[in-house]
Amino acid sequence: MTLEMQAPTPTAVKAGRVGSKVNWGLTLQRVLALIIILALWQVAVVVGLLPSITPGVIEVFGAIGAALTMPTFWAALGQTLTAATTGWLISCVVGVTLGLLIGTIRPLDRSTSVVVEFGRAFPTIALMPVVMLMLGATMTMEVTMVVLASVWPVLVQAILGSRRLDPAIVDTVQIFRIPRALWFRRVLLPSAMPFIATGIRISASISILAAVGVEVLTQVPGLGRLITLAQEAQRWDMAFAYLFFAGLFGWGIATLLAWGEKSLLAWNRQSDD
Amino acid sequence: MTIPQSIHTGTLTTTGNVLLKVDNIALGYGEGAAEKRIVDALSFDVGLGEFISIVGPSGVGKTTLLRGLSGLLKPKVGQVVVGGHVVSGPHPDIAVVFQDYSRSLMPWMSTRENVAFPLQGRGAGKAERNKEAEAALEAVGLGGQGDKYPWEMSGGMQQRVAIARALAYNAKVLLMDEPFASVDAQTRFDLEDLVIDLREKLGVTIILVTHDVDEAIYLADKVIVIAEKPATVVDVIETGFGTHRDQVATKADPRFQDARARILTRLRHND
Repeated sequence: MTLEMQAPTPTAVKAGRVGSKVNWGLTLQRVLALIIILALWQVAVVVGLLPSITPGVIEVFGAIGAALTMPTFWAALGQTLTAATTGWLISCVVGVTLGLLIGTIRPLDRSTSVVVEFGRAFPTIALMPVVMLMLGATMTMEVTMVVLASVWPVLVQAILGSRRLDPAIVDTVQIFRIPRALWFRRVLLPSAMPFIATGIRISASISILAAVGVEVLTQVPGLGRLITLAQEAQRWDMAFAYLFFAGLFGWGIATLLAWGEKSLLAWNRQSDD
Repeated sequence: MTIPQSIHTGTLTTTGNVLLKVDNIALGYGEGAAEKRIVDALSFDVGLGEFISIVGPSGVGKTTLLRGLSGLLKPKVGQVVVGGHVVSGPHPDIAVVFQDYSRSLMPWMSTRENVAFPLQGRGAGKAERNKEAEAALEAVGLGGQGDKYPWEMSGGMQQRVAIARALAYNAKVLLMDEPFASVDAQTRFDLEDLVIDLREKLGVTIILVTHDVDEAIYLADKVIVIAEKPATVVDVIETGFGTHRDQVATKADPRFQDARARILTRLRHND
């Protein structure tokens, strides 16, 4: 995954807006690309290019169907999503608040820039043993890990977003003597929102990855735990099916957020022209 | 050629009731020896209900002067007094219409919210804010358009919104920084007449900063000419047109022509 630390360009968003009618040609192309990839996979399995334990496409689809009827799967999915969502929401609130403060208070910005750069580049998963020691293999530990992994994109984007407040707006707010709290909520936050939205979207994907990753590596129940169990039982088809669901939910949330962003930040398309 | 040096010490303003007094101010950036002084020894008075234009060549320091008058920039020397109070920062009696309307309006707020925002800052309730905002929009000819967003409007309309926002703030003095510099000629005439009209109806005191000599004379009761480096007042001209103006008749008036010749000569003289 690439962490592209910027807001989408207006032209890119505009191009997306044109597709409000269903673009059948594009849909067809996308389905075709998917079919080709699946076909290549199947061929690689049949020819023996991949290790013999790799399940074929049909087996995986069978396993996906089977998973849908298993109560344990739904319970695990619920646990993973709860942990991921909780961690993600905490990241959003903490990241946005801290980011806007850091971005607008010059001494704070200068003194924390190294910490922020460090945290952003830090392999969070390496912290897990420490967090495990402190909190045990619990939901709290999982949520903590999710926050540690997903807070950075929101934080960095909020800092960047708060720096781009237009000098003309700064003057306006001063002249009309807007109180600090109102300024924060009605001026700074919306002005930084196009940047923050990108951070929130990236952070949503990361939080799912982190939740599943923690579950794979520890005994915390959830989708990741099911994957480990399936591997231990040599049920590779099931392991792949669970992986598929982890990916599907990451993608689904990112798509949902991109859509929400487009309708909520309509003003941003025009303002940059 | 000698030009009669007008008196700009202020005690001789035609309207007896001085609302805003600029008392020998110096403005600059930086401190001590590194200070770059932009404005120096500048004084003038503005009577209640008066329309003042401040005209000067590009780069003379008009925007700096406006920042000083509005309380955004603290004078190094001297003071600005409004209604008996020394201006030590942005003041409730002073509203500003900025040059860059497209950037000073907030694109994430509707037109009504933009106009009502300063009132919200003052703690006014929602119903009151919306009522005031709607009235201000009505006054600038944008009645019923409060739900639109600034970016859905033309440049001239956006500047009307910025004027409405300043009106709704209900300040005694309206400062305008080259407010019509970035609209087309016809829109500019419309906006000029709108401002004259508002002044006549609402009795608001206006200080307009511009580099356009014709605009300065057409709009104002008194034109203050600034020039030199650092900038200071080099001439003050009373136009004497009264409150009613006409784009054709006023500009053909011999007094208009005289004032124009005098200011242009004065500015060329200072190059």
